[in-house]
Amino acid sequence: MSQMPRPDTTELRAKYPGVFERPASARLAMPAMIAAALAIFVFGLVDLDFSPSRLIAGLGQLGWITMLMLPPNPGSSFPLYMQALGETLSIAVLGTTLAAVLALPVSLLAARNIIPSNLIRFPVRRFLDSIRGVDTLIWALVWINVVGLGPFAGVLAIMVSDFGAFGKLFSEAIEAADRKQVEGIRASGGNALHEIRFGLLPQVLPVIAGQVLYFIESNTRSATIIGIVGAGGIGLQLAEQIRVLEWQKVSFLILMILIAVAAIDFISSKLRFAIIGQRAVV
Amino acid sequence: MLVVEGLTCRFGTKAAVDNASFSIAPGSFVGVIGRSGAGKSTLLRMINRLADPTSGRILFEGTDVTALRGKELRRWRARSAMIFQQFNLVGRLDVLTNVLMGRLAQIPSWRSLAQVWPEQDRALALSALEQFDIAQLAAQRADQLSGGQQQRVAIARALVQEPDIILADEPIASLDPRNTKIVMDALLRINKHFGITVLCNLHSLDLARTYCDRLVGMAAGRVVFDGAPAALTDHIARELYDLEANDVIGAAPLPAPDGATAPALGTAAAA
Repeated sequence: MSQMPRPDTTELRAKYPGVFERPASARLAMPAMIAAALAIFVFGLVDLDFSPSRLIAGLGQLGWITMLMLPPNPGSSFPLYMQALGETLSIAVLGTTLAAVLALPVSLLAARNIIPSNLIRFPVRRFLDSIRGVDTLIWALVWINVVGLGPFAGVLAIMVSDFGAFGKLFSEAIEAADRKQVEGIRASGGNALHEIRFGLLPQVLPVIAGQVLYFIESNTRSATIIGIVGAGGIGLQLAEQIRVLEWQKVSFLILMILIAVAAIDFISSKLRFAIIGQRAVV
Repeated sequence: MLVVEGLTCRFGTKAAVDNASFSIAPGSFVGVIGRSGAGKSTLLRMINRLADPTSGRILFEGTDVTALRGKELRRWRARSAMIFQQFNLVGRLDVLTNVLMGRLAQIPSWRSLAQVWPEQDRALALSALEQFDIAQLAAQRADQLSGGQQQRVAIARALVQEPDIILADEPIASLDPRNTKIVMDALLRINKHFGITVLCNLHSLDLARTYCDRLVGMAAGRVVFDGAPAALTDHIARELYDLEANDVIGAAPLPAPDGATAPALGTAAAA
């Protein structure tokens, strides 16, 4: 067994004082942070009136509702529900597509490698941030007041809120693009549009397509939620049936939503692989 | 005639190219040599105007290239075709479209942006590929090609620009010895058959001596040697390369170029 020679402690202490005598602040930082986090958590529980006894008392009610839900049964409304589901899917697809189409040109303005000047880029980025800061649900409430109840308000809500998200995501994809390919176009005598069309878009379109597909999938869920506040689609039906306590219809609607989301998930992952997978195969 | 007058490029306080002056006769094959960081790349990029000089002028046939703007600048970039160390092809576009990028300055923008390429330009691009034996790869995506094939595509792109001068920035630095010879021979053929001036950055002194009929040596941004390869003595070379000297001098002997004796080529791309 080898043995390292014992070093001269006092000399090392003098040389690296920071290692041997950590200040009290450094030693206490971690326990203090854990204590603070615990305190905030407990305060939250008390402040929000979290009571286990009420939860336990309500469990019986939850079981009762579940019993009422079985078996799921649409009654005579199945065609109506199918139409509503179709409406929800169209809200998601239309809203997401419109958002992507509008966001692409704006995202160019927000990308550092396209617009080096802070003067334009900064306001564009803040604009996108502020749109993104407002949730889809809030946008739905706003648009319902502007254009009235119905799927049109839903499309507008998804379009606007995802415009903000896409603007940011696309501009990041553009900034991550390989500069050399763009330079090849410039050196051959291409103008700015050529650089974007041939140097940039071939690189970023697969990334963008993947993001749009994912958003369509997640917006199918969002479209259900905004339907509840009156923006049309299956969410509207769901809210209605909960209100009138038709639990069998509610459970049927939930099942429809689950199946639709799973189907969209399956299709979009296939499509995403077809687009991005090409690259992975190479 | 390309004339460079007192060309300087500063990044901050450091001069990448410092007061470089020389002139290059049409049809010559000039090698720019020197160690890494000597300013060779910046020099070539300034000539193509990918980098802007801090001071000094570049004149081509009497025109001040450094003052060009807009469409005129794009025309000049097409006339001074760049070839890059990393090829700078668009990986996701097919080979033919990559070559057609060399026609951008000549074709109306709406046509190129909508990819409605004139048949003549397609033919031109294809015949350029044919000259480097890669026409059968025209429909493949550029990122599926080997390095040597990619560089030949890049040379085809340069050729369809119908340039007066080709600026090759370390064109063989990412290639193996066999592809090095293929690419250097291709440059030599372009030079000899089409009379296109070639200005080529090279790290390897042996290659420079084998292919070039004139050498410009750079060190720390300055032109420190300008003359025939024969005039570059071992002593000067050692000064030029300093500590790297043993790496670049006296390596394994390279095969002789066969560009001058290559079979006659189709002339479509030279038109």
